[in-house]
Amino acid sequence: MSTRRQAITLYRNLLRESEKLPSYNFRMYAARKIRDTFRANKVLKDFNEIDRQMASAKENLELIRRQVIIGHLYTTDKLVIEQKKTLRPSDD
Amino acid sequence: MSFTQVARSCGRFAAALTTVRIASVAVQTQSRMLHRIAVPAIGAQLTQFFTVRNYSVRNTMEEIEHRVLKVVSAYDKVTADKESRCRWQTQSVRSYSAKPPLSLKLINERVLLVLKLYDKIDPSKLNVNSHFINDLGLDSLDHVEVIMAMEDEFGFEIPDSDAEKLLKPADIIKYVADKEDVYE
Repeated sequence: MSTRRQAITLYRNLLRESEKLPSYNFRMYAARKIRDTFRANKVLKDFNEIDRQMASAKENLELIRRQVIIGHLYTTDKLVIEQKKTLRPSDD
Repeated sequence: MSFTQVARSCGRFAAALTTVRIASVAVQTQSRMLHRIAVPAIGAQLTQFFTVRNYSVRNTMEEIEHRVLKVVSAYDKVTADKESRCRWQTQSVRSYSAKPPLSLKLINERVLLVLKLYDKIDPSKLNVNSHFINDLGLDSLDHVEVIMAMEDEFGFEIPDSDAEKLLKPADIIKYVADKEDVYE
């Protein structure tokens, strides 16, 4: 039986963990997917269905944790859109 | 380098000098036979040994002791006013400087700015006492995101048990002020 508090903690942990993904595409996808899935499933009333969704969220949290580690082992250069804007006008 | 370190290394140096003196005598006799085979290498070694040997012969134990004490006393003084000697130390301390001091007004501005930039909040409805869920129409998931944005803004973590009580911007301002020890 999942409580409201558990769901909120899970949501928070998922978002926090997804921020650590080193690859821009994975990171943005994960953040969007987490937000959209939680919004879509917030109207669920069936307890079995809620538990199933919570279990899959936990699995995905583990997946993101693993992927963070693997991603840090094989980092690539940052994309152009990730570069911090500088204050010097000559740079942009 | 502390006083004891200086004293210990000087004592070790004096001990090394006596052994070098003995060793150099032995090397001299050997080198007399070897100098036809490898003149340049041995010559270089010999000059090294000679300078060391002269050095040790000239200085008695009293002279070494005197010099050591002079060096040690130079280090022994309080080094706070010797800027040139310990500049690297002060610099390394300075790079770990604290955050700029917060005031209640500054916290207020920063909280409201973060909330204004959050896309689901209507900036015209926002004020310090508007309730996130009742007045601004956020749900509990949006509230989590707001709290996370505050954590990022102020650089510390807000535990879940505290986060669920922070339902108005005024609560957040008060909580941050308590955490950062700002009282005015």
